[in-house]
Amino acid sequence: MTNLATIDYVMLAVYLIGTMALGVYIGRRLKTGSDLFLAGRSLPWWAIGMSLVATDIGGTDIIGVGGQAYRYGMAVSNFEWIGCIPAMIIAAFVFVPFFWRTGVYTIPELMERRFNVGARTLLSFCWVVFMACNLGIMLLASAKLMSVLLGWDQSMAIWVTAIMVGVYTIFGGLAAVVYTDVIQCAVMIGGCLIVLVIGLAEVGGPAGLRASLEKLEQERTAASSAEDPGGTENTTISEDDKYLALVLPVDTKTPFPWTGILFGLALILSPAYWIGNQAIVQRSLGAKSDFQAKAAYIMGALLKNIIPIIVAVPGLIALIKFPELRDGDHAFPTLVAQLLPSGLRGVFLASFLAALMSSIDSYLNSSASLLTNDFYKRFARPDASDRQLLLIGRIATTILLVWAIYFAFLIIHMQSGIYAIFQTLMAFFQGPALAMLMTGLLWKRATGTGAIIGFLAGICTAVALYTLNQPAVYEALCWEPLFQIKEPFLYFSVWAFLVALVLIIVISLLTKREPDEKIRYCVFGEIKKETV
Amino acid sequence: MTILHTIGDFVRDSLGLIPLFYIRILFVAILVALLIWVLSLPNRETTPPDTKPTWSNNLKTWAAITLLLQIAIYSIF
Repeated sequence: MTNLATIDYVMLAVYLIGTMALGVYIGRRLKTGSDLFLAGRSLPWWAIGMSLVATDIGGTDIIGVGGQAYRYGMAVSNFEWIGCIPAMIIAAFVFVPFFWRTGVYTIPELMERRFNVGARTLLSFCWVVFMACNLGIMLLASAKLMSVLLGWDQSMAIWVTAIMVGVYTIFGGLAAVVYTDVIQCAVMIGGCLIVLVIGLAEVGGPAGLRASLEKLEQERTAASSAEDPGGTENTTISEDDKYLALVLPVDTKTPFPWTGILFGLALILSPAYWIGNQAIVQRSLGAKSDFQAKAAYIMGALLKNIIPIIVAVPGLIALIKFPELRDGDHAFPTLVAQLLPSGLRGVFLASFLAALMSSIDSYLNSSASLLTNDFYKRFARPDASDRQLLLIGRIATTILLVWAIYFAFLIIHMQSGIYAIFQTLMAFFQGPALAMLMTGLLWKRATGTGAIIGFLAGICTAVALYTLNQPAVYEALCWEPLFQIKEPFLYFSVWAFLVALVLIIVISLLTKREPDEKIRYCVFGEIKKETV
Repeated sequence: MTILHTIGDFVRDSLGLIPLFYIRILFVAILVALLIWVLSLPNRETTPPDTKPTWSNNLKTWAAITLLLQIAIYSIF
C-alpha cells in the first residue's frame, strides 16, 4: 500500500510535530544530569504507568507479536500476560519501592553497593550491548512497516525514525521520554483498537473469527495426515497446537511449549525484565515517592491485560483474511493496508510510530544513563558536576543513536523474525542477570566473587547452547539438535539461569562473607525503610 | 547422543507425561496464589501515606482486578 491520502499524511504530521514539540519544550527545563536521567524525581504514577506499557510495547511487538500470532496462534500472548503481569505485581510491592529508597540511578549501581565494582561493570556492559543492539532492531521494525505502508525505502525509514526520536530524547531526557510516552501509549492503543474492530467486523466478529480458526485447524490436520501419515514431518504448527490455546504441550512445534513459558518466561525472563531492566526500572526511580512508583507498576499491569487483544488478535484476523502471506511479520501491515480506509491508515501509522518511538526513546535514555553513570562517572570523572553529566549524557545518547542506525543496516537482510532476534538477545544474559540480582537482593550470604563467576558462566552457557543448536554446528558434529522447538530462546534462559544460580550459591559459600554494610542492600536487610 | 541430549530428553519426556489439563490448573493456581498474597499484604504497604485509605486508593484493589482478569483468561483459554 503506497496510496496514503492527504488526510493520512496530515494525521501523521500532527502527531509527529506534536510529540517532538513536547519533547523539546520539556528539554528547555533540563539543568542537570539528574533531570536528564531521573526527571528530577518528579514523575507522577499515571505517567510512569502508561510509559511502562508504551516502552514495553514497541514496534517490535506490534509487528512481531502480530507475526507470531499469524504463525503460531494466541500462545504468543503469554509474553504479555503470564509473562508480564505476575512479575510486575511482585516488583510493585517488593522490589520497586526498595530500589526507589536506595536513591540509585541504575540497577548496576545497586549491584556495586551490594557486591563490588566488577559486578556493576559486567551487568552494565551487558545491558548497554543489549539495548544498543535492540535499538537497531526497533529501527528495522519501523523500516519494515514503512516499506509496506508508505512504499518508502527501508534505509530512508531508518534514518527518518532515528532523527525524530533522537531530537527529543537528546534534549528532553527522561521527562520528555515519559510524557511523550503518555501520548504514544494512548495513540498506540487507539490505533491498534481501530485495526482490531475493523478486522473483527471483516471476519464476522469474535464468533466468526473463532469458527474460521477452528475450520483452519481442521483443514490443517487433514492436510497434515494426508501428507505425513506417520506424523513425523516437522510442520509449523502441530495438531495439538490450537490457535486460541495459551498453554501448549511440551512437544509443540511452536516456540511456546508450556515448559518454556512457565520456567523460561514467567519465572526468569519476565522478572529479569521488570525488576532488572534499566529501561523499565529507571522511570520508576524518577517517581515522586515510593508509593507512586508502586502505583505506576500496578497501573501498567492493569493495562497489560488488553495488549494481546489489540496486538495478537489482528495477527489471527490476518491469518483468516490473508492466509497466503510468506512472512508472518507482514500480517499486521497487510491488514492495515487492505482494511483501513484513508485517514485511519494515518492514525494507525501514527500509533505504530508511537509504539516504536516510545521504546526507542526509553532505550536511548537508559543506555545513555548506564554509559554516563556506570562508566564515565564511575571510572573517568567521579567528581563530574551535574551539568557535566548532562552534557555527557546527551553525547552518549547521540553516539548510541548512530550505532543503532549502523546495526539496523547490519541486520536488514536477516530472515529470522524480529521478535525472535530480540528474545534471543535477551535470553543470553537475562537469566544470569536475574540470578545475580535475586541472590544479591534476597540472600545475605551471596558474595561478589560468586556473583561475577556465576553471571559469566551463565552467559557462556546460553551462548554455547545457542551455538550448538545452529544447524551448521550440530551437523558438523554429527549431532541431533539440542532442542526440538524452533527458536528455543526460552530454554536458553532457563539453563543459563540455573547454571548461574548454582555457581553463585556454591562459590559464595566457599568465599568470604560480604561485610555488614553491603548486606544492608538486601531487600530484607536493614535498609528497608530508610532512604540512602 | 551426548550427555546434553540425555539430560534434555529426560527432562522433556518427564514433563511431557503430565496431562495438559493439569498444567492449565497449575497456571491458574499460580495466579490464585499471587492473588492471595496480594490480598494479605498489610494496608500500610498498599495505601498512600498520610491519606485516609479507601478502596480506590488502595493498590490491592487494582492488583486484585488485574489478577482476576488473568485468572479468567487462563481458565477459558
